Amino acid sequence: MNPEPFFQLDRVIHEKGRLAIMSMLAASPKLSFTELRDALTMTDGNLTTHIRALQQEGYVAVAKSYQNNRPLTTCSLTPAGRKAFAEYINLLEQIVRQNKGK
Amino acid sequence: MESNWAVEHLQTIRTLMERSAVYRRALAPIMLFAGLLGVLAAGGGIVFHLDSTRAFGGLWLGTALVAVAGAFLIARRQALKDHEPFWSPPTKRVAQALLPPLTAGLVVSFVAIGVLGNNAENGFNLLLTLNWLMFYGCAVHAAGFFMPRGMRLFAWICIGLASGSLVLLMIISKALFPNAHWLMGFFFGVLHLAYGAYLYLTEKGKNAA
Repeated sequence: MNPEPFFQLDRVIHEKGRLAIMSMLAASPKLSFTELRDALTMTDGNLTTHIRALQQEGYVAVAKSYQNNRPLTTCSLTPAGRKAFAEYINLLEQIVRQNKGK
Repeated sequence: MESNWAVEHLQTIRTLMERSAVYRRALAPIMLFAGLLGVLAAGGGIVFHLDSTRAFGGLWLGTALVAVAGAFLIARRQALKDHEPFWSPPTKRVAQALLPPLTAGLVVSFVAIGVLGNNAENGFNLLLTLNWLMFYGCAVHAAGFFMPRGMRLFAWICIGLASGSLVLLMIISKALFPNAHWLMGFFFGVLHLAYGAYLYLTEKGKNAA
């Protein structure tokens, strides 16, 4: 078996929590912090940490605004994030195909 | 081994992506429309004494039909206004989630009304009301999976009220219950109006599928 695809997997995205965030954002133009937290049943702190890691990598953009006089934080994938996510999926599919062919 | 892991990962990603497409289209106007219709139908039922089971069932099933058609038109109008496809993946998922419990409720209603016809007394209309509320709550809860969180709470309120009323109906005399039209007006009219107003105030300007 060629172990190459496995080692090419993006370690930042590969973590369970961050992969979940990336998956959610890949299917929606943007999601609020609350929507992500509720959908993924994460704590505020946990979600903040993961989002910060993805933001530092340039995969996620965070925008802060106000709605009904309340702060609203929305997250979206950056073009780099979208590309990295697509590559991650491709590699996963490659691993599956490779093992099926054995 | 590694393949299983990768397959599971892909499956998780797929599920999360599906869950992510939240349906937010025009919920507040739809709720307000349904609520208004519910209050009007209840008023009509009370004023014109549509109390036989067939008249009661006919009035409310007809109202439900108008409510569904109206909701469809409101959502479509908003999609056109926003230059977005109406039959989007979130819309499809919401429709797929709503359909089984609503169909089950409809079939049960038709069978019950057909079998008992006009021989049923007012207590039967009460049972019909609570049966509708229960199925409706289940439908909203199933669809609420793709909607903002408050929707599922609304569904639980419907299911809880229906269950509580059924228990009360068993314990105390049905004579102590108000006319079934009043109950319908409250459950399907006032509750929707209240939830619509809540959505309107909290999600203003955030409707997009």
